[in-house]
Amino acid sequence: MTSIGTGYDLSNSVFSPDGRNFQVEYAVKAVESGGTCIGIRTKHGVVLACEKIISSKLLKPGCNKRISTVDRSAGIVTSGLLPDGRHLTSRGRDEASSWRQTYKAPIPLSSLASRLGGYVQAYTLYSSVRPFGVTAILGGWDSEAESGVDGQVGNGPAAGAGGKVDDPSVKRGGPALYMIEPSGLYWGYYGAATGKGRQAAKAELEKLDLNSPDCALSLKDAVLEAARIIYVAHEDSKDKEFELELTWISALDGPTKGRHEHVPKELLEEAEKHAKKSLEGDDEDEDDDEMEE
Amino acid sequence: MPGFDFSNHTRNAALHARGVPLPKATSTGTTIVGCIYNNGVVIAADTRATSGPIVADKNCEKLHYISPNIWCAGAGTAADTEFTTALISSNLELHSLSTNRQPRVVTVMTMLKQHLFRYQGHIGAYLVVAGVDPTGVGLFTVHAHGSTDKLPYVTMGSGSLAAMAVFESTWKKDCTRDEAVKFCSEAILAGIFNDLGSGSNVDVCVIDKDKPTQLMRNYIKPNERSKKERNYKFQKGTTAVLDQKIITREEIGRYVTVHEIAGSDSDSGSLVVVEKMDVDDQP
Amino acid sequence: MGPDMATAMLGEDGIHIDMNHLKKGEVNLGTSIMAINFKDGVILGADSRTTTGAYIANRVTDKLTQVHDTIWCCRSGSAADTQAVADIVSYHLGLYGVMNGQDGPTTQTAAALFQELCYENKDQLSAGMIIAGYDKRHGGSVYSIPLGGSLHKQSYAIGGSGSTYIYGYCDANWKEHMTEEEGIKFVKGALGEAIKWDGSSGGVIRMVVLTNRGHERHLYLPDNGYTGPGRARPATT
Repeated sequence: MTSIGTGYDLSNSVFSPDGRNFQVEYAVKAVESGGTCIGIRTKHGVVLACEKIISSKLLKPGCNKRISTVDRSAGIVTSGLLPDGRHLTSRGRDEASSWRQTYKAPIPLSSLASRLGGYVQAYTLYSSVRPFGVTAILGGWDSEAESGVDGQVGNGPAAGAGGKVDDPSVKRGGPALYMIEPSGLYWGYYGAATGKGRQAAKAELEKLDLNSPDCALSLKDAVLEAARIIYVAHEDSKDKEFELELTWISALDGPTKGRHEHVPKELLEEAEKHAKKSLEGDDEDEDDDEMEE
Repeated sequence: MPGFDFSNHTRNAALHARGVPLPKATSTGTTIVGCIYNNGVVIAADTRATSGPIVADKNCEKLHYISPNIWCAGAGTAADTEFTTALISSNLELHSLSTNRQPRVVTVMTMLKQHLFRYQGHIGAYLVVAGVDPTGVGLFTVHAHGSTDKLPYVTMGSGSLAAMAVFESTWKKDCTRDEAVKFCSEAILAGIFNDLGSGSNVDVCVIDKDKPTQLMRNYIKPNERSKKERNYKFQKGTTAVLDQKIITREEIGRYVTVHEIAGSDSDSGSLVVVEKMDVDDQP
Repeated sequence: MGPDMATAMLGEDGIHIDMNHLKKGEVNLGTSIMAINFKDGVILGADSRTTTGAYIANRVTDKLTQVHDTIWCCRSGSAADTQAVADIVSYHLGLYGVMNGQDGPTTQTAAALFQELCYENKDQLSAGMIIAGYDKRHGGSVYSIPLGGSLHKQSYAIGGSGSTYIYGYCDANWKEHMTEEEGIKFVKGALGEAIKWDGSSGGVIRMVVLTNRGHERHLYLPDNGYTGPGRARPATT
């Protein structure tokens, strides 16, 4: 950051001579010190996980949730400045509800990501505002059901609609995972990670081989993996305690019936247990490796 | 105080409730028509403007310029057709300048229908829009409420029934320019002669793909006022002079102030005549 | 506007009521319109008469209006109102198409937009619309939006002043999963009766067939008893 003090880093609406917007880069710094958040997209659904750093022993465990639902089948988790994250989440809910009002149907996740991306980007343009100090991971499941128009009467022909095409290229809903950065940049991912432990988390996510068409990961496996990765990415030395938060969205015939929900208590406990155990296992493995050397 | 003045509203409502009719706007109880031909489009109109039972203008112009290759025939409230077409013409020229493209007939039609729909029929403009543009020939009708139709031949106004009768009995597909002019002028004549709201002359406008637009004002004048066969002036001396008294200028000056007006004095020929009133010659 | 107007319709109590409080001189689609589901998609049909009072302002009207590639609507009521509503929906669907990637708007999207406009402005509109469309995911679907602005998903929908005369015909002859030929015969038969009995319906019969081949227009003339010419242009996608 050699350009500090040149004045080009003071305002959003001014580029530095080499074409950078420093305010955005500083916002990224804010994210880099946030708790680790990850998202995993499988064929069967999406898992969001977050490492919630406990900043005070007086906070009630299990409260102050960090992963929020923005629409029935979409969740959002943010890393960085928490109030900025709350505001972005609120905007996500507004977008989802205004879409419902206009089109009488749930917003597709791609459109929600596009709207939020556009919103975040607008905060990089004007000198009167600062960029968002968060990176958001957005996960959801576009319903595969043929939901009608909200408020419609009747269901059409009893025999079903005619002329449907059994073409696999015709999209009929499915999982979706997006990550939105402070610049407003957003991309779709198989696995996404942000926050202080992102490097370690990304390395773990890549091992899952999520983009392979024959990836055998079940949704429950993904939950366990997500928990494990949060634990792996956590640095005991630096941070005090943390709480694991886990949500998931499955297909309509899956455990959440297409909704975004926190994972049940039993599964959360199982995931935590599995994560802790595998960490110990990892240590053993590493020991083994050392022995072999 | 700026704003509208509603002070007469209650009075007007009370008068109306007692049977006093509302004042009438000058409306062009009209016949207007349009017809496409193999290389362009023709529109035509009569030239009578009425105000209730009175013929307000015997030779008004109902063909309105929109752009060089798009013209409009208007029926309904005269002021509304005049101002609506002028407004659209102005906006269209700006649109054409900013897009660097020739204006299109559908654009005019769309601008008109959106403008008229916004006013829910209170702008009483019934229009035939016609023209040629890079996409071809266009002919539409636009009603005051904002509905539009696209047809090969159209009629509007109070004389539209008479005019449509002519089209329905004589119109041919793929006609020539001269045939289209003939159809249109015959249709207008039917309006002029069979509709009380229409009359006087036939105006025709021919918009061809390859030629400059021709506006043929008073193309047919079937109601020329002929020379009066008799002279209705009274002969000098018809009225007998019983008494004569000459009043001098000085005498009049006792009662009113007398000004010398330039030109009133025949001697001062060097003065320019500003305005002169027509008066009967002194006997 | 007397109760014998083109727009009059049977009320719940069987008394003729004036369903369209049209303004004086307003152009009206005293109409027979319908849309049906069939094996491969949907068929829309309409007569072609537009009236102002007792005068036929247009005898070859096209009441089947395209609002997206394979989403169309049938218009009845005020010509100005229904054209304006269709134009607005067409704009929104166009925007939706370019903004939301490869799979464009569905018939549901269109129906939702139509319904919102018709319901929110119900006091100022006299528009009875039938929306029918085809998309690969949902196949064909037919929605009806009557005067109050409610939305009904139906196997087939009929509308306009002429529809009152063909409830019996449609009920007696309706079959689900008809072939294209059977569907066309059904629509033609129903509209033929509507035109026959309703004074303010008439002219030609227009149809649009929506399938995965795209849209196809049909035209049937009164000159030959609505037997032809039939398919007016080849399918486009």
